[in-house]
This record gives sequence, structure tokens and C-alpha cells, in this order.
Amino acid sequence: MKSVTLTSIAALTLPFLAANGWAYNEAPMLKQLVEAGQLPPVEERLPKNPRVIPVYDSIGTYGGVMKRAFKGPSDRWGPTKLMEERVVETYMDGEKNLSLVPGWIGEYSVSEDAREFTFKIREGLRWSDGAPVTTRDVRFWYEDVFLNEDLMPSIKALYTSNGVPMKLSFADDYTFAVSFEKPYPLFLTVLAKESTGRPGLDRPGFIEPFHYLKDYHPTHADPTKLDAAIAKYGAKKWTDLWDSKGQIQAWWFNPDMPVLTAWRVKTPPPSDTVVMERNPYYYGVDAEGNQLPYIDQIEHRLFQDPEAINFMAIQGEIDLQNRHINVADFTLLKENEAKGDYTIEKWTKALTWSIIPNLNSADKVKQALFEDIRFREALNISVDRETINELAFSGLGESRQASPISGSPFYDEEAETRWTEYDPDKAAELLDAIGLTERDDDGFRLMSDGRRLSLVLETRWDIQGELLEVVRTYWQDVGIEVLVRIIDRTLYQQHVDTADFDMVLDTFDRSSVITADPLRFLGRYGFAPSYFNWWSTNGKSGEEPPKDHPIRDVWKAWENAQTAHSLEEANAYAQEMVTLHKQYGWHVGLVGETPAVYVRKNSLKNFPAGFVHDDALRGVGLAYPQQLYFSQD
Amino acid sequence: MAGYIAHRLLWSIPTLIVITIATFVIIQLPPGDYVTAYIAELVETGEVIDAETAAHIRHEFGLDRPMYEQFLTWIGGILLHGDFGLSLDWKLPVSELIWDRIGLTLMISVLSLLMTWAIAIPIGVYSASRQYSFFDHLFTVLGFLGRGIPDFLLALVLMWMGFLYFNFHVGGLFSPEFENAPWSIAKFVDLLSHLWVPVLVLSTGGAAGLLRIMRANMLEELGKPYVETAYAQGLSERQVVWRYPVRVALNPFISTVGWALPALISGDVITAVVLNLPTTGPLLLRSLQNQDMYLAGGFILILSVFTIIGTLLSDILLVLTDPRIRHS
Repeated sequence: MKSVTLTSIAALTLPFLAANGWAYNEAPMLKQLVEAGQLPPVEERLPKNPRVIPVYDSIGTYGGVMKRAFKGPSDRWGPTKLMEERVVETYMDGEKNLSLVPGWIGEYSVSEDAREFTFKIREGLRWSDGAPVTTRDVRFWYEDVFLNEDLMPSIKALYTSNGVPMKLSFADDYTFAVSFEKPYPLFLTVLAKESTGRPGLDRPGFIEPFHYLKDYHPTHADPTKLDAAIAKYGAKKWTDLWDSKGQIQAWWFNPDMPVLTAWRVKTPPPSDTVVMERNPYYYGVDAEGNQLPYIDQIEHRLFQDPEAINFMAIQGEIDLQNRHINVADFTLLKENEAKGDYTIEKWTKALTWSIIPNLNSADKVKQALFEDIRFREALNISVDRETINELAFSGLGESRQASPISGSPFYDEEAETRWTEYDPDKAAELLDAIGLTERDDDGFRLMSDGRRLSLVLETRWDIQGELLEVVRTYWQDVGIEVLVRIIDRTLYQQHVDTADFDMVLDTFDRSSVITADPLRFLGRYGFAPSYFNWWSTNGKSGEEPPKDHPIRDVWKAWENAQTAHSLEEANAYAQEMVTLHKQYGWHVGLVGETPAVYVRKNSLKNFPAGFVHDDALRGVGLAYPQQLYFSQD
Repeated sequence: MAGYIAHRLLWSIPTLIVITIATFVIIQLPPGDYVTAYIAELVETGEVIDAETAAHIRHEFGLDRPMYEQFLTWIGGILLHGDFGLSLDWKLPVSELIWDRIGLTLMISVLSLLMTWAIAIPIGVYSASRQYSFFDHLFTVLGFLGRGIPDFLLALVLMWMGFLYFNFHVGGLFSPEFENAPWSIAKFVDLLSHLWVPVLVLSTGGAAGLLRIMRANMLEELGKPYVETAYAQGLSERQVVWRYPVRVALNPFISTVGWALPALISGDVITAVVLNLPTTGPLLLRSLQNQDMYLAGGFILILSVFTIIGTLLSDILLVLTDPRIRHS
């Protein structure tokens, strides 16, 4: 990953195909339907300028069922990350350069002052039921969903500027423009990661199928029909049919919901196997004009226990899977590659396993310690990261500080190595210098109020017991007692939200394109939850940091980035956040860039090697599953 | 007799009410609620929800209302409309989720129960009548092993051996190709080829325990004067043992039939999770973890009803089989 090109790149189209009168090709199963008269010909199903999705290796062949595993409704990212459609998407080429490419819109442009973004829908684009996609669908989403307080009581800050929600205007059936009060150069970066729905990131964004959903919206629906629908779904009011409770809009629960994605749900949960089948109207083709996707069907088998998925993998019942495949099982999976006829692929995770001291601890003595940069340095240099990497990650990770990962456009080598040198003697000196010189009978240091220096380290990751045990011993060597608590993740979440903890072990993740999701840098998941709360609610809740607290500089940098006048400027401000983090060292980063382990069936082709696995890059979505195929031999 | 049953039935009503309230309260006791669990799960998998959205979802689900109100709405729906509410996690009606899985659960559990008895009773009788013989010692050792090895471990070992030596598809009750298929002979055969693993795992632990109980009971009975008398009458060993002492020794089996019923539904949760069985256990476990209270509550309510019915059944059976109880 060398650079993020965020300027509009020339949209790849196939004008020459149409001009030369070449025919598009389609899957045999669709051809049969066309011949039987149940489906219009492929030329009529594709937009005038279909999206050309580059293949990573070779032009594929049609057919096959991709078998996967998933854990149930809240694991919906398993199915959905395979098939997200955005207005703009991140694309990583074979050399690992990143760029933004237009998705279901054919083209986009950004105004000079970065305040207005114009999008043009591909003419002839169709929903999975064949209905045309126009700005009517965008207007419906904007006026009746986005601005409807019953459905969206609050609008995410990402879609506002200066506290005012974005404004949409519609030039014609295919063109719409989004404008903001202030410049917002990062908007496209955000759009490549986020959708505009709530809470469903998997929606295309800016769009809802008006022709289908109008029957379920009181502004447009016939009241008797709406009441019938409410009764049918066992809902109490119309909003129940939407979002948090609804079946209507949740495309992967409702097979009738029209979609733009390459596959659509055929057998929804709670079936033991959730099945997705190809969308005959999908708008993407390969460079030879074959309509995508290549793969006919995707099956997600329900499982509960992590051992069950290991068994499924080594028995060759998984075609492509990363979620719930644990690095700790690497050896087991590797040993059985031949037997299960699969290959283990490694992508790099954009994270660093880190211990995060809580600057908002209610214990004032501990809080003062955490605020002392010498104490944070001592915590950092008293652990031997290499040993941790060997013991807990089979040496597959890299010892490093919590910072953007290598290859990220925001990578900073100094930030990566800061305080990572193992030096327990210096750590002891620093602790002495703070005044932690007294010791109790067990050899632990005493804090200023005479209590033993004893810190509770919480985590929800029960797989990291070894890591914690090693860290505990290192800190014990310099006189700090650590009490490890592996707790239920709900309780953990509660503690982090209310700043009710000493330290937590967490993944410092989303560290590639940090401008797409900077919350970790701003304090949300760890080091200063109450301060973050204060800042993000404009002082309505949370706790105000002292006037000279450096976290204010981090927020300032981010505010500047958000309203910069150009993308370069915005990125420079974001880089400043990294510099501030380096300077103040709020985290104890341990081991990072661990592999994202994929089980890939040998017959599954076009899966790119060694990519970056990050939420900002949409995880497995970066592999463009539309272009994966099964070789026939 | 009819009066006795009616009396018992009447008593079960307040019992049910108390159980229902207790379960609803217990489910909500851990910190946080479904939304906290939901957010935690989302965070783990890479999504962010802001506080306002969380509050909105909480309001949508009615989680911001007082607990008694939530309880009354829920129980009211069940009593008035037979509506068990909506599973927050699955966004589906609870009844749709529960009944789907109960059939397979019942089948596995009944088979395991029969298997348990088929193992425990003959061996128990044999061990007691040949006390301290070689086979008695052998069964004792095996019994303690069976009792000592956790079911889930046995399940894992069986799965591993099945995979290693027989390249046998393990986990689940069906091969992938049959999972969503309609019922057919082929699907049934496929089911049978998977079914023996959970049945074996579930019955061994139980059998090992019951076997000890059976042996102890038999030993006690065999020493009694009526057995001596029977022998003195010239009856063969088989006739003596199986006609009287066994019947008496079976008493504890009958009085625990009631507990077997709820166990039939909840199954062995952990074994089911490990073996990836599409039964009710894993669903119940998940609903408890996620504080999906209507689903968990629905399960526990049904389990309670089964327990009450089961206890009633075993009481009636006892009255019928044991003259001492009948006449007292």
C-alpha cells in the first residue's frame, strides 16, 4: 500500500464493446431464464456503462457455490462484507496502491472548495427486481428516511458540517449533488467506508428502492395496506418495520428487498444455512464483458463453537473465510492444508494489540500516574515484545507501538518503534524518579497514598490469556502488580463506556486509512473515554479535560482536518494526530500487524495475496468477491 | 386419584408465575442490556454506534422502560395472544425460533435417555448381583471414567478421531448438502449417520452416574429377607432378581423422569455447541449471553412448564408403581 489516490480517476468503462457491437456474456443459469422468457436479455439488464471490475489474476468461469460459516444474526458482517456497494469504493491494485473508484454511480466530481460533491448514477442501472434506479430513489432516501426524525432521530456527525446536515439537490433523473456548509475534503474517504444508513453500514448509501419501500412508509403508503403489512410482520407501529427491529429494509433478512449487490438473499436466517444467490441485474462486468459475479451462490453455515469452524475448515468444507479463524490455530490449519484441499492465505491486520491505561480513572492516584509520561514510558519499556510475539502469536506478528501500520499513508517509523526497546533497568529508574520508591513485603511498589501499586487489567479477549500472563510477569519484575481479569464483553463494553477501569487490553485497530475512522486516536476506545464523550457531545456529557491537556491538540488537529480546504491539507492534519500520539505515548502497544488468516479452497481463484485487512478498507470486500471464481479442473 | 391430580395442577399455577418472574429478573441482572451486548458485538466486528443511536435503539425496543412494565407487556402477549415476543437478536418472533428446533432436540434427547437406561440398568443389575467380580470392577472403573470426562471433551475427542481415522464428516446433524433440503429417505439416512455421536456422548455421562445408583439400590434390595425367601422357594436367579428387587430399585429412575423432560429441551448445551447441533441449547446459551430476554424468557418458561408437567408425571407414575406410596 503505497499511496491513497483520492482524486477522481478515469472511470473504467466499456464504450468500445458497445460501439463494436460485442455481446455481453452471462451465467448459464441466467441464460436459461432468458431463453425461457423469464428474464430480459443481458444487454437490457446492464446499465449503458457497466462497471468494469478488474480481475486480480485471470478472467473467470461461471458457476459454483462458495461455502462459508457464520455465527448468527449479529455476525452479519460475515455475509454482508462480501457484497457491499458504495457510491465510491476503495480499490487496491496488485502493487498494493490504493485508489478510490466510482461504484454504482458512474462518475463523480468534487467542487473546487471541496464543499459540493456531484454524483451521476449509471444510466440504465437496475435494482435486483429489474426496476430502474433513478434520483427518485435518492430523493426518497433523503427526504423520507434521512431527514425523517422517526427513523433517524440523530444524524451522524459524518454527514453534517457545522452542525448542519448535508443538503441534496437533484439536477435530473441521474444526477444529484451533496453540499456542506464548510469544506469537507475527507467526505469521499468516509463514503468508501461508511454507508448512510443506520445502523446498517451494508446499505448502498444515498439510496433506497422507492418502488418497493413506499408501501411501508406512511408518507407514500395506502394506510390500509400499511396496516396490513404492520399486522403481517407482527409490528406495533410502522417504524418497527424499519431499521432496528425491521425485516423490511434488512436485505439479508428479507428476500423481497431489492438490492444492488452482486448476490441477494435466498434463504434468510434463522435457517441453519443462509443462502445468497446471484443478482441477475448486477451492474458489473469483467474486461471481456462477462457479467459478474462468477459464483452462482454463497452458503453460510451456522456454527457456535470456534472448534467447529476449525473442523469445517480442515475437512474442506470452507471455501473462503477469515472471520472466526484464529491465528492461534495457524499450525493446525497449516498441517491439514493438503487433506482439506485448501491454502492458508495471510493478509496483514491493521492493528496493534495494546494495553491502554485510563486517563479518566476515578482513582485519582492512579489517574495521576497514568498522566505522568514517565510512568507510561516505564510501562512501555519494561515489557519484552519479542517474547510476547513468540509466545502468544507464534512469532507471526511484529513487535511495535500502537500506530498506523507499515504501508499506511499515515505510517510513521518513529511512532512505530517508540519505547519498544526492552529496558527494565531504565523503567525501574523512571518509577523511582516518580517517587514510587517504597516497597511492600512482597516487593511491590507503594503509591503515594501507601496503597500497593496494583493495576487491574481487563480484557474481553479470552484467547489472549498467555499474552496477559507474560505482561503480568514483566511488570511484576519492576514492582507493579497486575491483576488480570478476562470478562464478558458486555461488561467490558460497559466499563470502557463509563471509564470504569484501570487498564484494558484491546486491539488498536483501523490503522491504515485513519481518516476513515479516527476514533481510536481521539480517545473513544480507551485512553480517555470521558474526555472524548465531552468533546463529541459538545460538553453535554462526559468530563472536560484541563485547559492545557494535550488531548485538546489531537481534537483540534482532527477538527482542522475535517474542514481543510484540500485533501492534502486534511491528510497533513491527520498526520499531526499521529505525531501527537507518538509524542505523548498514551498506549502500550505490544504486537501488531498480525496476519489475518484466510482459509481459501484451492479451486477458488483470483483471491489477491497479502492485502491489508482493515475495516476502513472493508475487510474481505477489498478482494472484490464479484470477481472470485472456481476453476473447473 | 383425580382429586390428587387436580390439586397438583392447581399448585402449578402459582409456581409458574413465580418462576416466570424470577427468570425475567435474573436475565436482566447482569450489567447492561441487549443493546450493550449488541454494541459490544458490533465493536468486536468493526462497527461503531454512537451514544444517541444506542439510546434510540434502546427506546425502540422499549428497554428504557421500567422492568415491571417490560415484564407485563411480555407476559401479557403470551397469555392474551400466545405471542412470545420478538427476539431482539434475530429480529424474529420467538415462537418461530423455538419450535423449529424443538423437534430435533426432543429426538436426540429421547434417544439419549433410552440409551442411558439401556446401558445403566443391565450393567447395574449385573454389577450388584456379581459384586466385586472382575466385571464389576471393570464397570466401576469405566463408570468413574465416564462420569469424570466432561461431555464436551468426549465430543471433541470423538470428532477428532472421526476426522482423523474415518475422514468422517463431523459436526452438525446433516451433511451440508442435506441441511436445507426437504425431508427424504436420503436425508434421514444422513441424519442417522450423524446422530450416533451426540447420542453416545450425551448418554455416557448420564449412564455412568445412573449405573452407580442402580448398583447401590440393587445391593440394598438383594440383602433383604424377601429375596432370601424367594430363593428358598426354589426360583431361579433370573426370576428372583428381575421380578422384585429390580422393580424396587427402579424407583429413583421413575421419580427423576420429571427432570428428564426439561433436560430434553435444554439438552446438554455445551455438547450441542461443540458438536454444532441445530438444537435448542446453543440458541438458549446465545440468548442468555446477549441478554436477548424475550427469547431466553420464552425458553425458560417452556422449560418450566415441562418441569412441572414432568414432576407431575413422575408423581403419578410413582403412585401407580409403588404400593407403599399408593396406600399412604
